[in-house]
Amino acid sequence: MEEKDKIELLKDILFADDHEFEKKISQRVDLLEQTIEEHEKLSEKVKPIVIHEIEEFKKSIPDTLGPTITQTLKEEIKNHQDKVVDVLYPILGKMVKKYVAQEMKVLSNKMNGQIGFLAFWKRKAKSAFTGEKEENIMFDNLNSAKIQQVLLIEKDSGILKASFAKSNAIDEEMVSGMLTAIKSFVEDAFIQRDQELESIEYELYQIHLQSFATHYIAVVISGNFDLNAKNKLQDIIFDFYHSFMAMNLDLVFKTSSTEKSIIPVSKSHVEKELKKYFGNAKI
Amino acid sequence: MRKSKKIVVLGHFGVGKTSLIRRFVTDTFSDKYKVTIGVHITKKLVEISAENKMSLILWDLEGTDDIVSIRNSYLLGTHGAVFVFDASRPSTFQHLNEDLKIIREKISEVPLMVVGNKLDLVDKNLLKNVFEEHGINANYLTSAKTGDGVNQLFLNLATLLASDA
Repeated sequence: MEEKDKIELLKDILFADDHEFEKKISQRVDLLEQTIEEHEKLSEKVKPIVIHEIEEFKKSIPDTLGPTITQTLKEEIKNHQDKVVDVLYPILGKMVKKYVAQEMKVLSNKMNGQIGFLAFWKRKAKSAFTGEKEENIMFDNLNSAKIQQVLLIEKDSGILKASFAKSNAIDEEMVSGMLTAIKSFVEDAFIQRDQELESIEYELYQIHLQSFATHYIAVVISGNFDLNAKNKLQDIIFDFYHSFMAMNLDLVFKTSSTEKSIIPVSKSHVEKELKKYFGNAKI
Repeated sequence: MRKSKKIVVLGHFGVGKTSLIRRFVTDTFSDKYKVTIGVHITKKLVEISAENKMSLILWDLEGTDDIVSIRNSYLLGTHGAVFVFDASRPSTFQHLNEDLKIIREKISEVPLMVVGNKLDLVDKNLLKNVFEEHGINANYLTSAKTGDGVNQLFLNLATLLASDA
């Protein structure tokens, strides 16, 4: 036996245990690799099936769970009506309350006007002369058009020159601006240039717009604003505007001879005129 | 006596016109962007002096890519104008002089303020160079977010209008 062979034999004897251990580790590693590969292969096959099943489940929810959920909700609402009311009242209650309050206020104002001494005798007299029932006359009066607010607005800028309102309204300067913007937009977009926007309607009210050369007048009206009422209102507006223009012209003539600068008619003066023309106007 | 003056605020999309007005009127700011459609009108009472108060009726006009397309009817009878650009977005001011020329043709004889907004998003020194490069001369630099320069802009405009009246 040669020296080299002896060394190999000695190695085998000395490292016999190590070889065994190495072999076991190698087997375990192979086993692990095989498991992982199998898992990945399985995952590739199973994943689309699982996704498909989830999608199918989502689609079937309205049919499978929907009726159950609906039924449960119905029962819960039926069994706990007080709680539902508690939850919904702050939202719906406020809306209903606001609407009813507004309607009651309008009705109350109209009723106050109708049960007055003068209104009572007027109604009696009208009934006697026309043969119409008193309650019909009262109803017609209740539903008749009423002027709520008048705004005199500079046509181009939308600046409010003067106003008259029966009750406190929202910021009139901003309303004037918005009305002018709406008017400009509508006239630009939908109507021929030589035509004007004449009215805007919203629920219980209607805004009548009457344009002049430099200004326009917006009148907020409640009640039944028919053609007859419109004609009467236009007459009042024309009378007022004639007076307003006359005031301006007076100033021009008065100041031109004295070479003073022209001071526009004061807002308070115009507002007095507005009240005079529109305050007790019947349309 | 209190006077009312109409001010139009105009400029390209998303330059912060609405935010600028909101900061001035209600002293608030929101990061959420809401597009203005048509026009939105707000009002602020400005005290120029103890005896001299002025109602500024602010017309916030919708943003546009093309200044020519602004509705002339919205500009009618205005007493002053504020042109806003976004100091952090060169596309909103690189044609500033042409834009101003178009506006001047539409509103010739009223005070016009040129405002670079969103100052909080830019470096002032870099901005100076960019402005020089583009030949830009902004009257005011503001930030609706921090409030820098906003009150001063509208107060100065109101004072100018009061002195013109």
